[in-house]
Amino acid sequence: MLRPLVNIWQRYRLGRWGLLLLVLFLFLLPLPQFIAPERKLVTNSLLFSFTQMFMLVTLASNWNLTGGFTGYVDFGHAVFFGLGAYGTGVLMNKLGWPFWPAMLIGAVLAAVFALLIGWATLRLKGPYFSIAMLGTFVAMREVIRVLKPITGGGEGLTLPPYLNRPLFYYLTLILAVLVVSLIAWIRRTEFGASLIAIREDEVGAEMRGINTTLHKITAFWIAAFLTGLVGGMWAYQNTFIDPDVVFFESRTVELVMMTMLGGLGTVAGPVIGAATIYWLRDVVWANFLQYHLIVQGLLLILIVLFMPEGILGTLGDRSATSLNRIVRKWFGLTRNGTEGV
Amino acid sequence: MPGNGKQPLLECRGVSKYFGGLAAVNNVDFVVYPGEMVGLIGPNGSGKTTLFDCLSRVQQVSSGQIFFKGVDITKKKPYQIAHMGMARTFQVIRVYRKLTVLENMLLSRQWRGESLFKQLRPTHPRTEKRARELIDFLMLSHLTDELAGNLSGGQRRLLEIGMALMPDPDLILLDEATSGVNPTLIEQIKDRIRQLNQEQGKAFLLIEHNIHFIADLCSRVFVLNYGEKLAEGTPEEIINNEAVIEAYFGT
Repeated sequence: MLRPLVNIWQRYRLGRWGLLLLVLFLFLLPLPQFIAPERKLVTNSLLFSFTQMFMLVTLASNWNLTGGFTGYVDFGHAVFFGLGAYGTGVLMNKLGWPFWPAMLIGAVLAAVFALLIGWATLRLKGPYFSIAMLGTFVAMREVIRVLKPITGGGEGLTLPPYLNRPLFYYLTLILAVLVVSLIAWIRRTEFGASLIAIREDEVGAEMRGINTTLHKITAFWIAAFLTGLVGGMWAYQNTFIDPDVVFFESRTVELVMMTMLGGLGTVAGPVIGAATIYWLRDVVWANFLQYHLIVQGLLLILIVLFMPEGILGTLGDRSATSLNRIVRKWFGLTRNGTEGV
Repeated sequence: MPGNGKQPLLECRGVSKYFGGLAAVNNVDFVVYPGEMVGLIGPNGSGKTTLFDCLSRVQQVSSGQIFFKGVDITKKKPYQIAHMGMARTFQVIRVYRKLTVLENMLLSRQWRGESLFKQLRPTHPRTEKRARELIDFLMLSHLTDELAGNLSGGQRRLLEIGMALMPDPDLILLDEATSGVNPTLIEQIKDRIRQLNQEQGKAFLLIEHNIHFIADLCSRVFVLNYGEKLAEGTPEEIINNEAVIEAYFGT
Protein backbone atom coordinates (compact mmCIF):
# COMPACT_ATOMS: atom_id res chain seq x y z
CA MET A 1 0.00 0.00 0.00
CA LEU A 2 2.84 2.33 0.82
CA ARG A 3 4.77 1.59 -2.36
CA PRO A 4 2.87 3.95 -4.71
CA LEU A 5 3.17 6.74 -2.15
CA VAL A 6 6.91 6.17 -1.90
CA ASN A 7 7.13 6.21 -5.67
CA ILE A 8 5.37 9.56 -5.90
CA TRP A 9 7.60 10.84 -3.12
CA GLN A 10 10.70 9.86 -5.06
CA ARG A 11 9.45 10.96 -8.45
CA TYR A 12 8.81 14.47 -7.18
CA ARG A 13 11.97 14.37 -5.03
CA LEU A 14 10.11 15.56 -1.94
CA GLY A 15 12.95 14.41 0.28
CA ARG A 16 13.49 14.93 3.96
CA TRP A 17 11.97 18.39 4.15
CA GLY A 18 8.75 17.17 2.59
CA LEU A 19 8.63 14.41 5.18
CA LEU A 20 9.22 16.92 7.96
CA LEU A 21 6.35 19.09 6.73
CA LEU A 22 4.09 16.03 6.52
CA VAL A 23 4.89 15.03 10.11
CA LEU A 24 4.27 18.61 11.22
CA PHE A 25 0.93 18.58 9.44
CA LEU A 26 -0.13 15.30 11.04
CA PHE A 27 0.86 16.68 14.42
CA LEU A 28 -1.10 19.90 13.93
CA LEU A 29 -4.21 18.23 12.52
CA PRO A 30 -5.85 17.02 15.75
CA LEU A 31 -4.80 20.03 17.84
CA PRO A 32 -8.28 21.64 18.24
CA GLN A 33 -9.56 18.39 19.77
CA PHE A 34 -7.39 19.05 22.80
CA ILE A 35 -8.67 22.47 23.74
CA ALA A 36 -8.83 22.67 27.47
CA PRO A 37 -8.59 26.24 28.76
CA GLU A 38 -7.96 25.22 32.34
CA ARG A 39 -4.87 23.20 31.49
CA LYS A 40 -3.25 26.10 29.62
CA LEU A 41 -1.57 23.80 27.12
CA VAL A 42 -3.90 24.08 24.15
CA THR A 43 -5.96 27.21 24.57
CA ASN A 44 -8.14 29.20 22.23
CA SER A 45 -5.48 31.85 22.03
CA LEU A 46 -2.92 29.26 20.96
CA LEU A 47 -5.32 28.15 18.26
CA PHE A 48 -5.72 31.77 17.17
CA SER A 49 -1.93 32.19 17.07
CA PHE A 50 -1.62 29.14 14.87
CA THR A 51 -4.34 30.45 12.57
CA GLN A 52 -2.42 33.69 12.14
CA MET A 53 0.78 31.79 11.55
CA PHE A 54 -0.75 29.54 8.90
CA MET A 55 -2.02 32.61 7.08
CA LEU A 56 1.46 34.11 7.15
CA VAL A 57 2.98 30.85 5.92
CA THR A 58 0.52 30.86 3.01
CA LEU A 59 1.11 34.52 2.22
CA ALA A 60 4.89 34.19 2.37
CA SER A 61 4.79 31.11 0.13
CA ASN A 62 2.69 32.99 -2.40
CA TRP A 63 5.00 35.95 -2.32
CA ASN A 64 7.91 33.59 -2.81
CA LEU A 65 6.44 32.37 -6.09
CA THR A 66 6.97 35.75 -7.75
CA GLY A 67 9.59 37.23 -5.44
CA GLY A 68 11.71 34.15 -4.84
CA PHE A 69 11.32 31.91 -7.87
CA THR A 70 10.74 34.41 -10.64
CA GLY A 71 12.88 37.11 -9.05
CA TYR A 72 10.26 39.84 -9.32
CA VAL A 73 10.32 41.44 -5.88
CA ASP A 74 6.76 42.60 -5.33
CA PHE A 75 6.49 45.36 -2.70
CA GLY A 76 2.76 45.72 -3.16
CA HIS A 77 1.68 42.12 -2.83
CA ALA A 78 -0.73 43.04 -0.03
CA VAL A 79 -2.92 44.68 -2.69
CA PHE A 80 -4.16 41.18 -3.57
CA PHE A 81 -4.76 40.43 0.09
CA GLY A 82 -6.78 43.65 0.28
CA LEU A 83 -8.78 42.87 -2.84
CA GLY A 84 -9.61 39.42 -1.51
CA ALA A 85 -10.65 40.91 1.83
CA TYR A 86 -12.74 43.65 0.25
CA GLY A 87 -14.25 41.35 -2.36
CA THR A 88 -15.40 39.05 0.42
CA GLY A 89 -16.44 41.92 2.66
CA VAL A 90 -18.52 43.76 0.06
CA LEU A 91 -20.27 40.60 -1.15
CA MET A 92 -21.15 39.55 2.40
CA ASN A 93 -22.03 42.95 3.79
CA LYS A 94 -23.79 44.59 0.83
CA LEU A 95 -25.22 41.58 -1.00
CA GLY A 96 -25.63 39.20 1.89
CA TRP A 97 -23.70 36.37 0.23
CA PRO A 98 -22.55 33.41 2.30
CA PHE A 99 -18.87 33.21 3.15
CA TRP A 100 -17.59 30.48 0.80
CA PRO A 101 -18.65 31.90 -2.59
CA ALA A 102 -17.78 35.40 -1.40
CA MET A 103 -14.22 34.31 -0.54
CA LEU A 104 -13.86 32.57 -3.89
CA ILE A 105 -15.08 35.60 -5.86
CA GLY A 106 -12.81 37.83 -3.78
CA ALA A 107 -9.84 35.68 -4.77
CA VAL A 108 -10.91 35.67 -8.42
CA LEU A 109 -11.09 39.46 -8.25
CA ALA A 110 -7.50 39.52 -6.98
CA ALA A 111 -6.38 37.14 -9.75
CA VAL A 112 -8.07 39.19 -12.50
CA PHE A 113 -6.53 42.35 -11.13
CA ALA A 114 -3.14 40.59 -11.12
CA LEU A 115 -3.56 39.66 -14.78
CA LEU A 116 -4.30 43.27 -15.71
CA ILE A 117 -1.67 44.96 -13.55
CA GLY A 118 0.93 42.25 -14.20
CA TRP A 119 0.49 42.65 -17.92
CA ALA A 120 1.72 46.22 -17.46
CA THR A 121 4.14 46.03 -14.54
CA LEU A 122 5.88 42.73 -15.29
CA ARG A 123 7.58 44.43 -18.24
CA LEU A 124 9.52 46.46 -15.70
CA LYS A 125 12.63 45.02 -14.15
CA GLY A 126 14.23 45.09 -10.72
CA PRO A 127 13.45 48.10 -8.54
CA TYR A 128 11.11 49.59 -11.15
CA PHE A 129 8.73 46.67 -10.78
CA SER A 130 8.90 46.85 -6.98
CA ILE A 131 8.09 50.56 -6.97
CA ALA A 132 5.30 50.18 -9.52
CA MET A 133 3.67 47.53 -7.34
CA LEU A 134 4.10 49.66 -4.23
CA GLY A 135 2.37 52.49 -6.12
CA THR A 136 -0.43 50.15 -7.15
CA PHE A 137 -0.88 49.15 -3.54
CA VAL A 138 -1.13 52.73 -2.27
CA ALA A 139 -3.41 53.73 -5.15
CA MET A 140 -5.74 50.81 -4.46
CA ARG A 141 -6.06 51.85 -0.83
CA GLU A 142 -7.17 55.33 -1.93
CA VAL A 143 -9.55 53.88 -4.51
CA ILE A 144 -11.17 51.77 -1.80
CA ARG A 145 -11.42 54.84 0.41
CA VAL A 146 -13.05 56.91 -2.33
CA LEU A 147 -15.56 54.24 -3.43
CA LYS A 148 -17.56 54.87 -0.29
CA PRO A 149 -20.98 53.66 -1.53
CA ILE A 150 -19.53 50.23 -2.25
CA THR A 151 -16.70 49.78 0.19
CA GLY A 152 -17.84 51.92 3.09
CA GLY A 153 -14.81 54.21 2.57
CA GLY A 154 -12.79 55.12 5.62
CA GLU A 155 -15.52 53.92 7.96
CA GLY A 156 -14.92 50.35 6.85
CA LEU A 157 -17.22 47.37 6.58
CA THR A 158 -18.54 45.00 9.18
CA LEU A 159 -18.92 41.36 8.26
CA PRO A 160 -21.42 39.05 9.94
CA PRO A 161 -19.62 38.05 13.14
CA TYR A 162 -18.88 34.37 13.39
CA LEU A 163 -16.76 32.87 16.08
CA ASN A 164 -15.53 29.40 15.33
CA ARG A 165 -11.85 29.05 16.11
CA PRO A 166 -11.48 25.38 15.08
CA LEU A 167 -13.04 26.17 11.68
CA PHE A 168 -10.57 28.95 10.94
CA TYR A 169 -7.79 26.81 12.32
CA TYR A 170 -8.59 23.99 9.90
CA LEU A 171 -9.31 26.33 7.03
CA THR A 172 -5.97 28.11 7.32
CA LEU A 173 -4.05 24.92 8.09
CA ILE A 174 -5.44 23.13 5.04
CA LEU A 175 -4.90 26.13 2.81
CA ALA A 176 -1.32 26.45 4.06
CA VAL A 177 -0.64 22.78 3.39
CA LEU A 178 -2.26 22.94 -0.04
CA VAL A 179 -0.33 26.05 -0.99
CA VAL A 180 3.02 24.73 0.24
CA SER A 181 2.40 21.46 -1.61
CA LEU A 182 1.41 23.36 -4.73
CA ILE A 183 4.58 25.44 -4.56
CA ALA A 184 6.65 22.30 -3.93
CA TRP A 185 5.05 20.69 -6.95
CA ILE A 186 5.59 23.77 -9.12
CA ARG A 187 9.23 23.81 -8.02
CA ARG A 188 9.66 20.25 -9.33
CA THR A 189 7.99 20.86 -12.66
CA GLU A 190 9.48 22.27 -15.83
CA PHE A 191 7.30 25.31 -15.31
CA GLY A 192 8.99 26.00 -11.98
CA ALA A 193 12.42 25.45 -13.49
CA SER A 194 11.56 28.00 -16.16
CA LEU A 195 10.65 30.52 -13.45
CA ILE A 196 14.11 30.02 -11.93
CA ALA A 197 15.68 30.50 -15.34
CA ILE A 198 13.83 33.82 -15.64
CA ARG A 199 15.20 34.88 -12.27
CA GLU A 200 18.76 33.95 -13.22
CA ASP A 201 18.82 35.50 -16.67
CA GLU A 202 15.64 36.68 -18.32
CA VAL A 203 17.13 37.45 -21.74
CA GLY A 204 18.95 34.13 -21.81
CA ALA A 205 15.79 32.29 -20.77
CA GLU A 206 13.79 33.89 -23.57
CA MET A 207 16.58 33.06 -26.05
CA ARG A 208 16.44 29.43 -24.96
CA GLY A 209 12.79 29.07 -25.69
CA ILE A 210 10.95 30.17 -22.54
CA ASN A 211 7.93 32.39 -23.13
CA THR A 212 8.93 34.66 -20.27
CA THR A 213 5.89 36.95 -20.37
CA LEU A 214 3.45 34.04 -20.11
CA HIS A 215 5.43 32.40 -17.33
CA LYS A 216 5.72 35.56 -15.26
CA ILE A 217 2.05 36.43 -15.57
CA THR A 218 0.96 32.89 -14.73
CA ALA A 219 3.09 32.80 -11.59
CA PHE A 220 1.81 36.25 -10.69
CA TRP A 221 -1.90 35.50 -10.95
CA ILE A 222 -1.60 32.17 -9.14
CA ALA A 223 0.12 33.97 -6.26
CA ALA A 224 -2.52 36.72 -6.35
CA PHE A 225 -5.42 34.25 -6.32
CA LEU A 226 -4.08 32.38 -3.28
CA THR A 227 -3.30 35.64 -1.52
CA GLY A 228 -6.86 36.78 -2.22
CA LEU A 229 -8.18 33.63 -0.56
CA VAL A 230 -6.19 34.41 2.57
CA GLY A 231 -7.46 38.00 2.44
CA GLY A 232 -11.05 36.77 2.39
CA MET A 233 -10.47 34.44 5.32
CA TRP A 234 -8.76 37.14 7.26
CA ALA A 235 -11.66 39.57 6.67
CA TYR A 236 -14.21 37.02 7.87
CA GLN A 237 -12.18 36.13 10.90
CA ASN A 238 -11.52 39.76 11.78
CA THR A 239 -15.21 40.69 11.14
CA PHE A 240 -14.20 44.30 10.44
CA ILE A 241 -12.20 45.75 7.55
CA ASP A 242 -11.19 49.31 6.72
CA PRO A 243 -8.60 50.59 4.23
CA ASP A 244 -5.89 51.22 6.80
CA VAL A 245 -6.15 47.83 8.47
CA VAL A 246 -6.35 45.84 5.25
CA PHE A 247 -3.91 47.84 3.14
CA PHE A 248 -1.23 47.96 5.79
CA GLU A 249 2.21 48.68 4.33
CA SER A 250 4.23 46.55 6.67
CA ARG A 251 2.17 43.51 5.68
CA THR A 252 4.19 43.17 2.50
CA VAL A 253 7.44 44.08 4.24
CA GLU A 254 6.78 41.29 6.72
CA LEU A 255 6.26 38.78 3.93
CA VAL A 256 9.50 39.84 2.28
CA MET A 257 11.31 39.54 5.58
CA MET A 258 9.89 36.09 6.33
CA THR A 259 10.76 34.74 2.92
CA MET A 260 14.26 36.18 3.06
CA LEU A 261 14.88 34.81 6.54
CA GLY A 262 13.78 31.34 5.49
CA GLY A 263 15.40 31.34 2.09
CA LEU A 264 14.32 33.07 -1.13
CA GLY A 265 13.24 30.73 -3.88
CA THR A 266 13.03 27.63 -1.72
CA VAL A 267 9.84 25.76 -0.83
CA ALA A 268 10.45 25.32 2.88
CA GLY A 269 12.03 28.76 3.33
CA PRO A 270 8.84 30.83 3.65
CA VAL A 271 7.36 28.25 6.03
CA ILE A 272 10.36 28.36 8.32
CA GLY A 273 10.70 32.13 7.97
CA ALA A 274 7.04 32.85 8.67
CA ALA A 275 6.94 30.57 11.70
CA THR A 276 10.19 31.98 13.11
CA ILE A 277 9.23 35.61 12.64
CA TYR A 278 5.73 35.08 13.98
CA TRP A 279 6.96 33.64 17.26
CA LEU A 280 9.88 36.03 17.42
CA ARG A 281 7.51 38.95 16.96
CA ASP A 282 5.36 37.71 19.80
CA VAL A 283 8.40 37.70 22.04
CA VAL A 284 9.54 41.13 20.82
CA TRP A 285 6.07 42.59 21.25
CA ALA A 286 5.78 41.21 24.72
CA ASN A 287 9.14 42.55 25.81
CA PHE A 288 9.86 45.68 23.77
CA LEU A 289 6.47 47.08 22.86
CA GLN A 290 7.71 50.57 22.05
CA TYR A 291 10.71 49.44 20.10
CA HIS A 292 9.33 46.47 18.23
CA LEU A 293 9.69 48.14 14.84
CA ILE A 294 13.31 49.03 15.61
CA VAL A 295 14.03 45.45 16.59
CA GLN A 296 12.26 44.23 13.46
CA GLY A 297 14.28 46.59 11.26
CA LEU A 298 17.50 45.56 12.95
CA LEU A 299 16.66 41.95 12.29
CA LEU A 300 16.13 42.65 8.60
CA ILE A 301 19.53 44.38 8.39
CA LEU A 302 21.21 41.45 10.12
CA ILE A 303 19.58 38.98 7.73
CA VAL A 304 20.72 40.91 4.68
CA LEU A 305 24.25 41.29 6.04
CA PHE A 306 24.96 37.86 7.43
CA MET A 307 22.60 35.45 5.78
CA PRO A 308 21.43 36.85 2.46
CA GLU A 309 20.49 33.32 1.38
CA GLY A 310 18.30 32.80 4.45
CA ILE A 311 18.26 29.95 6.93
CA LEU A 312 18.08 27.23 4.29
CA GLY A 313 20.72 28.83 2.10
CA THR A 314 23.04 29.17 5.08
CA LEU A 315 22.65 25.47 5.80
CA GLY A 316 23.23 24.63 2.14
CA ASP A 317 26.49 24.54 0.25
CA ARG A 318 25.72 27.14 -2.38
CA SER A 319 26.16 30.08 -0.11
CA ALA A 320 29.49 31.82 0.31
CA THR A 321 28.85 33.87 3.45
CA SER A 322 31.12 33.59 6.44
CA LEU A 323 28.16 32.51 8.57
CA ASN A 324 27.55 29.70 6.13
CA ARG A 325 31.13 28.49 6.51
CA ILE A 326 30.88 28.59 10.30
CA VAL A 327 27.54 26.76 10.35
CA ARG A 328 28.79 24.13 7.95
CA LYS A 329 31.90 23.57 10.02
CA TRP A 330 30.01 23.34 13.30
CA PHE A 331 27.30 21.06 12.09
CA GLY A 332 29.54 19.08 9.78
CA LEU A 333 27.20 19.62 6.85
CA THR A 334 28.55 18.35 3.58
CA ARG A 335 27.63 18.94 -0.03
CA ASN A 336 23.97 19.18 -0.90
CA GLY A 337 23.04 19.76 2.71
CA THR A 338 19.61 21.06 1.71
CA GLU A 339 19.00 18.89 -1.29
CA GLY A 340 15.36 18.53 -2.10
CA VAL A 341 14.26 21.76 -0.47
CA MET B 1 27.01 27.21 -55.93
CA PRO B 2 26.79 26.29 -52.22
CA GLY B 3 23.11 25.49 -51.91
CA ASN B 4 22.63 23.42 -55.07
CA GLY B 5 19.15 24.83 -55.41
CA LYS B 6 18.08 23.76 -51.91
CA GLN B 7 15.81 25.98 -49.85
CA PRO B 8 17.94 28.24 -47.66
CA LEU B 9 17.85 27.57 -43.93
CA LEU B 10 18.39 31.19 -43.07
CA GLU B 11 18.04 34.13 -45.39
CA CYS B 12 18.53 37.83 -44.70
CA ARG B 13 17.18 40.38 -47.13
CA GLY B 14 18.37 43.95 -46.72
CA VAL B 15 18.63 43.74 -42.93
CA SER B 16 19.48 47.04 -41.25
CA LYS B 17 19.72 48.10 -37.65
CA TYR B 18 20.10 51.72 -36.60
CA PHE B 19 20.92 53.01 -33.14
CA GLY B 20 19.89 56.64 -33.48
CA GLY B 21 21.91 57.86 -36.44
CA LEU B 22 24.42 55.02 -36.29
CA ALA B 23 23.91 52.22 -38.77
CA ALA B 24 25.21 49.21 -36.84
CA VAL B 25 24.05 46.86 -39.57
CA ASN B 26 23.37 48.32 -42.98
CA ASN B 27 21.46 46.54 -45.72
CA VAL B 28 23.02 43.10 -45.28
CA ASP B 29 21.97 40.16 -47.46
CA PHE B 30 23.13 36.63 -46.93
CA VAL B 31 22.05 33.03 -47.00
CA VAL B 32 22.90 29.93 -44.94
CA TYR B 33 21.99 26.55 -46.45
CA PRO B 34 21.15 23.46 -44.38
CA GLY B 35 24.21 21.63 -43.10
CA GLU B 36 26.54 24.49 -44.00
CA MET B 37 29.15 26.18 -41.87
CA VAL B 38 29.45 29.87 -42.52
CA GLY B 39 31.87 32.30 -40.91
CA LEU B 40 31.20 35.90 -40.08
CA ILE B 41 34.23 38.09 -39.51
CA GLY B 42 34.94 41.77 -39.28
CA PRO B 43 36.84 44.31 -37.18
CA ASN B 44 35.56 45.31 -33.75
CA GLY B 45 32.37 47.33 -33.96
CA SER B 46 31.52 46.12 -37.44
CA GLY B 47 28.08 44.92 -36.39
CA LYS B 48 28.56 41.16 -36.14
CA THR B 49 26.95 40.71 -32.75
CA THR B 50 24.20 43.19 -33.60
CA LEU B 51 23.44 41.09 -36.65
CA PHE B 52 23.22 38.02 -34.40
CA ASP B 53 20.96 39.92 -32.05
CA CYS B 54 18.71 40.77 -34.99
CA LEU B 55 18.63 37.14 -36.13
CA SER B 56 17.62 35.86 -32.71
CA ARG B 57 15.40 38.91 -32.15
CA VAL B 58 17.12 40.25 -29.05
CA GLN B 59 17.05 43.41 -31.15
CA GLN B 60 14.34 44.40 -33.53
CA VAL B 61 15.52 45.05 -37.08
CA SER B 62 15.01 48.58 -38.35
CA SER B 63 14.30 47.40 -41.88
CA GLY B 64 14.65 44.29 -44.00
CA GLN B 65 13.42 40.75 -43.58
CA ILE B 66 14.78 37.55 -42.08
CA PHE B 67 13.54 34.12 -43.17
CA PHE B 68 14.20 30.92 -41.25
CA LYS B 69 13.13 27.67 -42.92
CA GLY B 70 11.13 29.75 -45.35
CA VAL B 71 9.16 31.53 -42.61
CA ASP B 72 9.42 35.25 -42.02
CA ILE B 73 10.72 35.55 -38.45
CA THR B 74 11.28 39.32 -38.50
CA LYS B 75 8.34 39.93 -36.16
CA LYS B 76 8.53 36.72 -34.12
CA LYS B 77 9.43 36.57 -30.43
CA PRO B 78 12.84 35.19 -29.37
CA TYR B 79 11.31 32.09 -27.76
CA GLN B 80 9.33 31.33 -30.92
CA ILE B 81 12.52 31.46 -32.97
CA ALA B 82 14.15 29.12 -30.45
CA HIS B 83 11.20 26.72 -30.82
CA MET B 84 11.70 26.75 -34.59
CA GLY B 85 15.18 25.35 -34.18
CA MET B 86 17.63 28.22 -33.99
CA ALA B 87 19.97 28.43 -31.02
CA ARG B 88 22.73 30.83 -30.19
CA THR B 89 25.52 31.51 -27.75
CA PHE B 90 26.56 34.90 -26.50
CA GLN B 91 29.76 36.87 -26.75
CA VAL B 92 29.34 37.79 -23.09
CA ILE B 93 28.61 34.36 -21.64
CA ARG B 94 25.07 33.91 -20.39
CA VAL B 95 24.90 30.82 -18.23
CA TYR B 96 22.78 30.57 -15.06
CA ARG B 97 25.65 31.08 -12.65
CA LYS B 98 23.90 30.08 -9.45
CA LEU B 99 22.74 26.75 -10.87
CA THR B 100 24.73 23.60 -11.49
CA VAL B 101 25.98 22.54 -14.91
CA LEU B 102 23.28 19.86 -15.12
CA GLU B 103 20.53 22.29 -14.12
CA ASN B 104 21.77 24.74 -16.73
CA MET B 105 21.46 22.06 -19.35
CA LEU B 106 18.01 20.93 -18.19
CA LEU B 107 16.73 24.50 -18.39
CA SER B 108 17.68 24.66 -22.06
CA ARG B 109 15.57 21.64 -22.90
CA GLN B 110 13.92 20.82 -26.16
CA TRP B 111 10.89 22.82 -27.18
CA ARG B 112 8.48 22.09 -29.91
CA GLY B 113 5.85 24.71 -29.22
CA GLU B 114 4.85 23.25 -25.86
CA SER B 115 1.91 24.75 -24.03
CA LEU B 116 2.27 25.87 -20.45
CA PHE B 117 0.00 23.02 -19.40
CA LYS B 118 2.41 20.39 -20.71
CA GLN B 119 5.14 21.85 -18.58
CA LEU B 120 3.35 20.97 -15.37
CA ARG B 121 5.37 17.79 -14.91
CA PRO B 122 8.84 17.01 -13.66
CA THR B 123 11.76 17.00 -16.05
CA HIS B 124 11.48 14.00 -18.31
CA PRO B 125 14.15 11.30 -17.75
CA ARG B 126 14.88 11.53 -21.48
CA THR B 127 15.77 15.20 -21.11
CA GLU B 128 18.14 14.38 -18.29
CA LYS B 129 19.70 11.55 -20.28
CA ARG B 130 20.30 13.89 -23.19
CA ALA B 131 21.75 16.53 -20.89
CA ARG B 132 24.20 14.04 -19.41
CA GLU B 133 25.19 12.78 -22.85
CA LEU B 134 25.90 16.30 -24.02
CA ILE B 135 27.86 17.08 -20.86
CA ASP B 136 29.96 14.00 -21.64
CA PHE B 137 30.31 15.03 -25.26
CA LEU B 138 31.65 18.42 -24.17
CA MET B 139 34.05 16.87 -21.65
CA LEU B 140 32.36 18.50 -18.66
CA SER B 141 31.18 15.30 -16.93
CA HIS B 142 33.50 15.83 -13.95
CA LEU B 143 31.75 19.18 -13.38
CA THR B 144 28.13 18.00 -13.67
CA ASP B 145 27.17 19.12 -10.16
CA GLU B 146 29.41 22.17 -10.01
CA LEU B 147 27.84 25.62 -10.00
CA ALA B 148 28.20 27.25 -13.39
CA GLY B 149 29.58 30.36 -11.69
CA ASN B 150 32.57 28.35 -10.46
CA LEU B 151 33.58 27.21 -13.95
CA SER B 152 36.47 28.74 -15.86
CA GLY B 153 35.79 30.95 -18.86
CA GLY B 154 36.57 28.18 -21.32
CA GLN B 155 34.39 25.67 -19.50
CA ARG B 156 31.56 28.16 -19.49
CA ARG B 157 31.94 28.53 -23.25
CA LEU B 158 31.60 24.78 -23.57
CA LEU B 159 28.60 24.77 -21.27
CA GLU B 160 26.97 27.48 -23.32
CA ILE B 161 27.53 25.49 -26.49
CA GLY B 162 25.97 22.54 -24.71
CA MET B 163 22.97 24.65 -23.73
CA ALA B 164 22.59 25.72 -27.35
CA LEU B 165 22.71 22.06 -28.42
CA MET B 166 20.19 20.83 -25.85
CA PRO B 167 17.06 21.66 -27.88
CA ASP B 168 18.55 19.83 -30.90
CA PRO B 169 18.51 22.91 -33.15
CA ASP B 170 19.07 22.96 -36.90
CA LEU B 171 21.05 26.17 -36.92
CA ILE B 172 23.46 27.28 -34.22
CA LEU B 173 24.83 30.79 -34.02
CA LEU B 174 28.15 30.83 -32.20
CA ASP B 175 29.28 34.25 -31.05
CA GLU B 176 33.06 34.10 -30.50
CA ALA B 177 33.07 30.58 -29.16
CA THR B 178 36.85 30.61 -28.79
CA SER B 179 37.54 33.95 -27.13
CA GLY B 180 39.30 33.45 -23.82
CA VAL B 181 39.76 29.75 -24.48
CA ASN B 182 43.17 28.07 -24.42
CA PRO B 183 44.57 26.57 -27.66
CA THR B 184 44.05 22.88 -26.75
CA LEU B 185 40.44 23.54 -25.80
CA ILE B 186 39.96 25.47 -29.05
CA GLU B 187 41.04 22.36 -30.93
CA GLN B 188 38.54 20.31 -28.95
CA ILE B 189 35.70 22.77 -29.59
CA LYS B 190 36.62 22.67 -33.27
CA ASP B 191 36.44 18.87 -33.29
CA ARG B 192 33.06 18.91 -31.62
CA ILE B 193 31.64 21.43 -34.05
CA ARG B 194 32.95 19.48 -37.02
CA GLN B 195 31.52 16.28 -35.60
CA LEU B 196 28.08 17.85 -35.08
CA ASN B 197 28.13 19.20 -38.60
CA GLN B 198 29.24 16.01 -40.30
CA GLU B 199 27.32 13.47 -38.24
CA GLN B 200 24.11 15.34 -37.52
CA GLY B 201 24.09 17.84 -40.37
CA LYS B 202 23.77 20.86 -38.14
CA ALA B 203 24.33 24.25 -39.73
CA PHE B 204 26.58 26.77 -38.01
CA LEU B 205 27.03 30.48 -38.31
CA LEU B 206 30.19 31.52 -36.50
CA ILE B 207 31.47 34.89 -35.44
CA GLU B 208 35.20 34.65 -34.93
CA HIS B 209 38.32 36.73 -34.68
CA ASN B 210 40.42 33.59 -34.90
CA ILE B 211 40.86 33.34 -38.68
CA HIS B 212 42.45 29.87 -38.52
CA PHE B 213 39.41 28.55 -36.70
CA ILE B 214 37.16 29.93 -39.44
CA ALA B 215 39.42 28.74 -42.25
CA ASP B 216 39.49 25.19 -40.86
CA LEU B 217 35.76 24.87 -40.41
CA CYS B 218 33.87 27.08 -42.81
CA SER B 219 33.22 26.69 -46.48
CA ARG B 220 32.11 30.29 -46.86
CA VAL B 221 32.95 33.50 -45.05
CA PHE B 222 31.29 36.91 -44.89
CA VAL B 223 33.09 40.03 -43.89
CA LEU B 224 31.29 42.91 -42.24
CA ASN B 225 32.78 46.38 -41.99
CA TYR B 226 30.94 49.38 -40.59
CA GLY B 227 27.76 47.34 -40.73
CA GLU B 228 28.02 46.61 -44.44
CA LYS B 229 28.90 43.41 -46.17
CA LEU B 230 32.41 43.99 -47.46
CA ALA B 231 33.15 40.63 -49.03
CA GLU B 232 31.99 37.07 -49.33
CA GLY B 233 33.81 33.96 -50.50
CA THR B 234 35.86 30.95 -49.51
CA PRO B 235 38.30 31.43 -46.63
CA GLU B 236 41.26 31.59 -49.08
CA GLU B 237 39.61 34.30 -51.13
CA ILE B 238 38.83 36.31 -48.04
CA ILE B 239 42.34 36.06 -46.58
CA ASN B 240 43.79 37.36 -49.84
CA ASN B 241 41.12 40.02 -50.39
CA GLU B 242 42.69 43.51 -50.52
CA ALA B 243 39.62 45.27 -49.10
CA VAL B 244 39.47 42.89 -46.14
CA ILE B 245 43.16 43.32 -45.34
CA GLU B 246 42.69 47.06 -45.46
CA ALA B 247 39.65 46.93 -43.17
CA TYR B 248 41.55 44.88 -40.60
CA PHE B 249 44.94 46.54 -40.71
CA GLY B 250 44.28 49.97 -42.21
CA THR B 251 46.71 51.32 -44.81
